[in-house]
Amino acid sequence: MNRQEFDHAHVAFSFIERLETLEAPDDVMNHMEKSLGLFGFENFILTGLPNPHQRAEQMVLARKWPRGWFEIYIKENYVAADPVVRLCRNSINPFEWSEAPYNREKEPRAHEVMNRAADFRMANGFCIPIHGLTGYEACVSFGGDKLDLSSRTKPAIHLMGMYAFERIRQLMTPAQRNRSDDLTSREREVLTWTALGKTSSEIAEILELSKRTVDEYSIRAARKLRAQNKTHAVVKALQQRLINP
Amino acid sequence: MTAIHIVSSANRHLYETTLDSYFRIRHDVFAKERGWKAVERSDERDIDAFDRDDTIHLIAMDGDRVVGGQRLVPTTTPHMLSEIFADLAAVKGIPVGPTIWEASRYFVVRERRSGRTDATMLAGVQEFGVDEGITHYSAVIETWWLPRLHEAGFVVRPLGLPTLIENQWAIAAEVEVRQSSRDRARALGGIGGSVLVRRGLKVPLIGEVAHVT
Repeated sequence: MNRQEFDHAHVAFSFIERLETLEAPDDVMNHMEKSLGLFGFENFILTGLPNPHQRAEQMVLARKWPRGWFEIYIKENYVAADPVVRLCRNSINPFEWSEAPYNREKEPRAHEVMNRAADFRMANGFCIPIHGLTGYEACVSFGGDKLDLSSRTKPAIHLMGMYAFERIRQLMTPAQRNRSDDLTSREREVLTWTALGKTSSEIAEILELSKRTVDEYSIRAARKLRAQNKTHAVVKALQQRLINP
Repeated sequence: MTAIHIVSSANRHLYETTLDSYFRIRHDVFAKERGWKAVERSDERDIDAFDRDDTIHLIAMDGDRVVGGQRLVPTTTPHMLSEIFADLAAVKGIPVGPTIWEASRYFVVRERRSGRTDATMLAGVQEFGVDEGITHYSAVIETWWLPRLHEAGFVVRPLGLPTLIENQWAIAAEVEVRQSSRDRARALGGIGGSVLVRRGLKVPLIGEVAHVT
């Protein structure tokens, strides 16, 4: 192992060890700015990826983006056109923004978002996809003007991004929530099918359960979510990202 | 309901058919699906130098059907990190000790990859660790799995930087055995209690575990 490789490893491991001691999302962001700044990164976003029913701005866990750019990004609904977001959903490996493919002729909006990002000193960046066990999708994305991205630095950045995401996620997850309020995977399944427009009888057939059991799951889920009825439960579950139909 | 069967040399006579199916599925997953040339065998059974008498298999079963699995090897003997992947632990070194076991060959069959079987397997390996006095597992894991383990409440310490193995980013890591991890994995899978089946085995199975007093 050469000297430079050791340095990257050292930066990554001290970054990760320090993360555990930080108790506020802002401290984590400052910590990221300092350590990832060594590789040239200036801008950061850690965000869940919205499904068609969700609003992009509500999925963001933490961000430090150039003034004005986030507002434009949301207003223009660039999340629907961004080739980085698309590749993030479909890839398990991290990638440089420039590696996210799109068709210039057929996808002018994709071309537009990449160009406008460059105007905000976000010419290139590095994206780390997050794929949860039960459908949660998220993205850790770092940008900057002059980046030290090489086969030697990327593994260190990759690891740092994943641990930063986990720490932010921990700090943003309300700890006071009672565990008995967690939806079971069956309750989530039933809500997901309900969100997709299936009736109790249809869900019963799909999940090979009785209709009564399916109704029981809906009622229990509604109770846990403090929802007035089944439809209200679906809306709350979507808002809280508990289901991802 | 999926259960995790503990299979060791002490009770393997009860699981001959299951084990054959387990090794065949491992070959399907790792040799055929993943294309790992090193594990290809003409008899289409993935059995290697780490499937020994002291290896413990955690086999996920729906009734008689194998739907997932992983194996555990004591780190006080030759194991994959010490023999094959030592480079992956270049930063922190290879964890070795009587209460540290290495987990490997984790798989879930293709039809069961929606999360629930994974949660059961993760709950099972933590439950086994808690019951047996294991303090840590070491493992080489695909890096994209790290957030999934985090989601299941696992405390994972990397031992080195991600490295490309068979076209997949992987890291060596040490996972703590914690009741809270077991419970979080259970909650994720909607599991009420124990997922382990110890047919013909005593508890604890690992006799020589040195308990810290």
